[in-house]
Amino acid sequence: MPPITLVDMSTEEPIPARGPAYWRSLDELASTGEFQDWLHREFPQGASELNGVNRRQFMKVMAASFSLAGLGMAGCRQPRQHVLPYAKQPENIIPGVPNYYSTSMPLPWGNLPLIAESHQGRPTKLEGNPSYAPAGGATDAHAQASVLDLYDPDRLAQSRSGRRRLGVADVYDLLDRTSGRLRSGKGKGIAVLAEKSASPSRRRLVAELRALAPELIWAEYEPVALEGLADACRRLKIKPLRVAPVFDKAKRILALDSDFLFSEPNAVVHARAFAEGRKVKGADSAKGMNRLYAVESQLSLTGAMADHRLRMSSTDIGGFVAALAARILPRAMPDLAWIDALGAASKGLDAQRSWIEECADDLLEHKGTSLVVCGAHLPPVVHLMVAHINQALGAQGKTLHYLELPDDPEVASIGEVTGAIRKGSVQTLILLGGNPAYDAPADLDWFMAQKLVPEVIRLSTHEDESAEGARWLIARSHYLEAWDDGLTYDGCYVPVQPLIEPLFETVSDLEFIARLSGRVVSDPYKIVRETAALMDASLRDDHGFARFLAEGVSLSSSLKKAEWTTAPEQDEFIRDGLAKVARRPSLGLETLEVRIVPSSHTYDGRYANNGWMMECPDPLTKLTWDNAILISPGLAKELEAKGDAAFFPRPGLLNRLNQTQRAKGLFSAGKEQAWVAELRIGDTSVTGPVHVQPGLATYTVVLSMGFGRRVCGRVGTGVGFDVFPLVNSNEQHVRHGATLKLTGDTYPLANTQEHWAIEGREILREANASEYAENPDYVLGIGMEAHSPAVYGKDKDKSLAYKATATPKGGSMYEHPDFTAPQQWGMTVDLNSCIGCNACVVACQSENNIPIVGKDQVLRGREMHWIRLDRYFSSASNDRSDIPEEVQVSFQGMACTHCEMAPCETVCPVNATVHDEQGLNVMAYNRCVGTRYCANNCPYKVRRFNFFDWHKREIGKFYLGPFGPVDEPELPRMQRNPDVTVRMRGVMEKCTYCVQRIEAAKIRQKSLARDSDAIEVPDGTIQTACQQVCPTRAITFGDITQPDSAVSLLKASDRNYSVLGYLNIRPRTTYLSKLRNPNPKMPDAFAMPYTREDYESRYGHHPGEHETHGTEHAESDANTTVHH
Amino acid sequence: MSNLFPEIANRVPRWIVTVLGLALLWTVGGIWYYFSPSYARAGYQPVQPVSFDHAQHVNQVGLDCRYCHTFVDRSEHSNIPGTNTCMTCHSVIQPESVALAPVRESFRTGDPIPWVKVHKTPDYVYFNHSVHINRGVSCVHCHGQVDDMEEVFHSESLSMAFCLDCHRNPEAFIRPVDQVTNLKWTPPADAGQWAEQASTFVHDWKVLPPESCSGCHR
Repeated sequence: MPPITLVDMSTEEPIPARGPAYWRSLDELASTGEFQDWLHREFPQGASELNGVNRRQFMKVMAASFSLAGLGMAGCRQPRQHVLPYAKQPENIIPGVPNYYSTSMPLPWGNLPLIAESHQGRPTKLEGNPSYAPAGGATDAHAQASVLDLYDPDRLAQSRSGRRRLGVADVYDLLDRTSGRLRSGKGKGIAVLAEKSASPSRRRLVAELRALAPELIWAEYEPVALEGLADACRRLKIKPLRVAPVFDKAKRILALDSDFLFSEPNAVVHARAFAEGRKVKGADSAKGMNRLYAVESQLSLTGAMADHRLRMSSTDIGGFVAALAARILPRAMPDLAWIDALGAASKGLDAQRSWIEECADDLLEHKGTSLVVCGAHLPPVVHLMVAHINQALGAQGKTLHYLELPDDPEVASIGEVTGAIRKGSVQTLILLGGNPAYDAPADLDWFMAQKLVPEVIRLSTHEDESAEGARWLIARSHYLEAWDDGLTYDGCYVPVQPLIEPLFETVSDLEFIARLSGRVVSDPYKIVRETAALMDASLRDDHGFARFLAEGVSLSSSLKKAEWTTAPEQDEFIRDGLAKVARRPSLGLETLEVRIVPSSHTYDGRYANNGWMMECPDPLTKLTWDNAILISPGLAKELEAKGDAAFFPRPGLLNRLNQTQRAKGLFSAGKEQAWVAELRIGDTSVTGPVHVQPGLATYTVVLSMGFGRRVCGRVGTGVGFDVFPLVNSNEQHVRHGATLKLTGDTYPLANTQEHWAIEGREILREANASEYAENPDYVLGIGMEAHSPAVYGKDKDKSLAYKATATPKGGSMYEHPDFTAPQQWGMTVDLNSCIGCNACVVACQSENNIPIVGKDQVLRGREMHWIRLDRYFSSASNDRSDIPEEVQVSFQGMACTHCEMAPCETVCPVNATVHDEQGLNVMAYNRCVGTRYCANNCPYKVRRFNFFDWHKREIGKFYLGPFGPVDEPELPRMQRNPDVTVRMRGVMEKCTYCVQRIEAAKIRQKSLARDSDAIEVPDGTIQTACQQVCPTRAITFGDITQPDSAVSLLKASDRNYSVLGYLNIRPRTTYLSKLRNPNPKMPDAFAMPYTREDYESRYGHHPGEHETHGTEHAESDANTTVHH
Repeated sequence: MSNLFPEIANRVPRWIVTVLGLALLWTVGGIWYYFSPSYARAGYQPVQPVSFDHAQHVNQVGLDCRYCHTFVDRSEHSNIPGTNTCMTCHSVIQPESVALAPVRESFRTGDPIPWVKVHKTPDYVYFNHSVHINRGVSCVHCHGQVDDMEEVFHSESLSMAFCLDCHRNPEAFIRPVDQVTNLKWTPPADAGQWAEQASTFVHDWKVLPPESCSGCHR
């Protein structure tokens, strides 16, 4: 038992124990300070007497009272804990009730409007701002993870110069000195390299700065391609335009190397709008589904969603566009001067001729509702041709808008800065964010160039590659702790509102630039107020600004809509571009194309130290903690034929039985062992593990940037390999002439899903939209459930609400609890909308305090994500001995489905997982002893076990157990959601349907109801974390006892089915099957989706069997579902 | 050979078994009782930094619970008041009192008064005050006659069984919502009639206290 810690009340210092913690006699008790204090408080008069003669007498009398008072025995009962209220309670802070503030996430292309949930002054969760209707409250995985970056223990806590620590005042002095030099010398000898930003405040400050110092070199650099058309416009010396597609109005969409659903700017808005056009209410609206054509070199999420996909190298896409233009433009714009150049540009694409023609015809047929988008990295001539094509398709004003970007003075490129440095004309280099020493094009050799500059001032959140050798390293504020503003992609003005005082002694961007220009007003808040007043007069006064902050977005766009017009001035540029396209290099085994893309984990390296992002599996490769050299199966075959290595399974017994047998070089003990290869272009090379990815253009090799960071922090340093050595300033995103040579080594890749085949199972149930339109009930005819549906007996035709609450659950020995609550919760996942972006996975991790486990444990299959986003590849042949080249991709997110008759509940020896009255399968963590029988029994395998103390112990040192180092820094703990238990080692966990949100809503409703019976929570009040974040609104959650709730209406849909429903476990999460919308005229049209073909060929009904089947079923009892 | 052991040794195994058995029973029984919340928690009365007398403030002065515990009907926590609440009166009432020196000191410096927590549920329990207060469960059922306490002590055991006693039988503990903070309230004299009235409350207000794990253990 711990001794009492005594505190001197007057000095608040702990009093050293003067004797044993427990007194042997009342005399001893009398000598403790605690007693003395108590005495003086309780008996001010008697206290003095105590020290006199009557002490013993007094003590005897008081003995009983002492023990009643619990004096001294306090330590026996429970440890002494304190409650510390405010000394001056501030308004609007209610302990236990979170506050919500609007803010936005600044990204290079614009801002994503957010609402941040703040517990006791700490932001813990970010959500989208529903006031911004285009995004509708959705965010993406990166935005969800960015809250963890605020609490990164590797953040710079203080600025420094060499070894000397600098306080904020020292930084201000430095900036003042630099500002003085800048103004007096008009900026000569000073260069600034900044990351791109859409902040109007920053723009204003920079304009002021550049006006003060005309000879200042102002450069901006981002390694990821952002604004293809705007760059093309700048080359043409016309007003830069931005393409704002309106996907929900488009019925036919062609995406050219454009991953607009995931990695292009504004992907969240695009995904939402696209899904709107994809959603199907019933069989009659199936024909109204949009159709997506994708032509790409990498397999992206957009390609995965496409109805028709053409594998083509990024190099050849120029030719593709020329062929498309040749088909579309002559009719609409016969007078174009360069139409004759299209033929030469599109040579060599004869094999794809009919694909291109049918696609073009489909687009033309839907004039006014069709749209062509292309990736930002494609050459300017492609963007211009696409603009012409969209004009010919009548897209302008209907399915896309052009927005005029602000006319800013010309911004230098990083190449120009490097040139100036090498010439010796830069004495002071200021680096605002970014990380050029890591991500600059390799031919510039920025790392060496930076060393040539005498004085480098770097503003950064972390100690990173660019900070090495910088004379001044200034700690930068995170966006959640600094004032700023921004613009959404379409120009709506949004605030960046701090949620918390800066955690460290950091300087914010606006303050930095303001002080650099020597501005009188350098307080970021005041600067934002100034800008807001300029953007919109109604935001000038306090009230207007407060309303703006409450709303979180100013709804009128500040970017003007513009018209695209063809002009003869563009002709020569386009003609030159087309000639270059005609001269494009051909690709082969020794002249590979290298496509360098932002990674889903770290984007361009900025999230490298974010554990959630490192462990969130890549949507298509399902790799964690690593990047890989992705090669196509065709290339793998050629490499295998050369004799380098085995990629494919050898023919063997298992293959012949149509099971997958993996080659030895690929998998060992279930873990992927990737061949290590060197990818070389000329003098530069990178070495990394090779992963065979279906769907890639044959001679395209895909590299993900953002890995191989040298100086990053505890999470990202040394993870993966750096691809930037292959980035060239002329060819930043697509390179040619590469060779791939295997080194003979292998490297384990932590893959959360190695098996990609659906194996003909009926868990996906896809169909073409045309089939669904004719046969709306097709879902019921698929799978085991067609023959043995869930057993409802005489209740099978009753409503879902009745079946959920009243239908008996069978006569098992385990007594299933009754569902007596007035509201029963259920969920549907619309597979037709899910794009596989992983936002739900990270949102769940953020909301529910889910830990990361590190690469070693992911190799053992112990990743803790509650949602597992399965992705399946299916091909026309479904030959298991091969990795297919052309694939269709299907996504299915699985989390605990809260089965009404859950198999996990019956097997728990300690009854830790039980069912509650509202239909949830509940985990009582404190009861769990870690038998793991429940995970064994779960048919969906969605239970996660805490094998080690993931939260407390250092990643990589788990096996040392209690002797291992504790790595539980204070900072990341601030992010944890206080409403959700943090689980310890030995405890099972799983999706809880965000029970904390359900209970919070119910409690609030009951508190409002008081002595009335209005306790029913209105539909839509409760949103689970995954539902709230999903950009495509694939997840719907609500009360299934209300027949008109959103979830009930979806469950009544004819596309609704339960995965593994024949097990009769009655899951509360059901799925809406995916529809594909192929064009029957296309050469690669399919009669049914490949997963369905796989199912039909293995388990489906074949002609001839049908008759006997039918009679058998007709004779069986009437309780089975009538099918076919 | 003569006997190695005396006669009495025959009885030793029996004694050992009896003693061990009794020891086991005492240990189990002892832990069962002495480690239970009703023993370990009930009666806990720690010494507070300022000897706040609830009896005086509630009975004599006439303060309602919510004058100080302001968020009890809005939040899961029933907050200990900030020093500014004390100072609403004590800036003019007994402004020089020695006993109130820590209060004035806290108000002056901004450091909180380090109150000692009396009622605490384990970390794996989520308890929400607001839903109880707003639905007719009075403070007195869990916290005892706080209005008569000169020094707050832990009155009930607050064990899971204690919570379930009410959750399974809310009629026995419910009262009109406006009487929740009236700790001296008693049901009307006729017990049968009151039981019926209470059941009517539970039915009419749809009082459905959660009885399964998700109610408190998330």
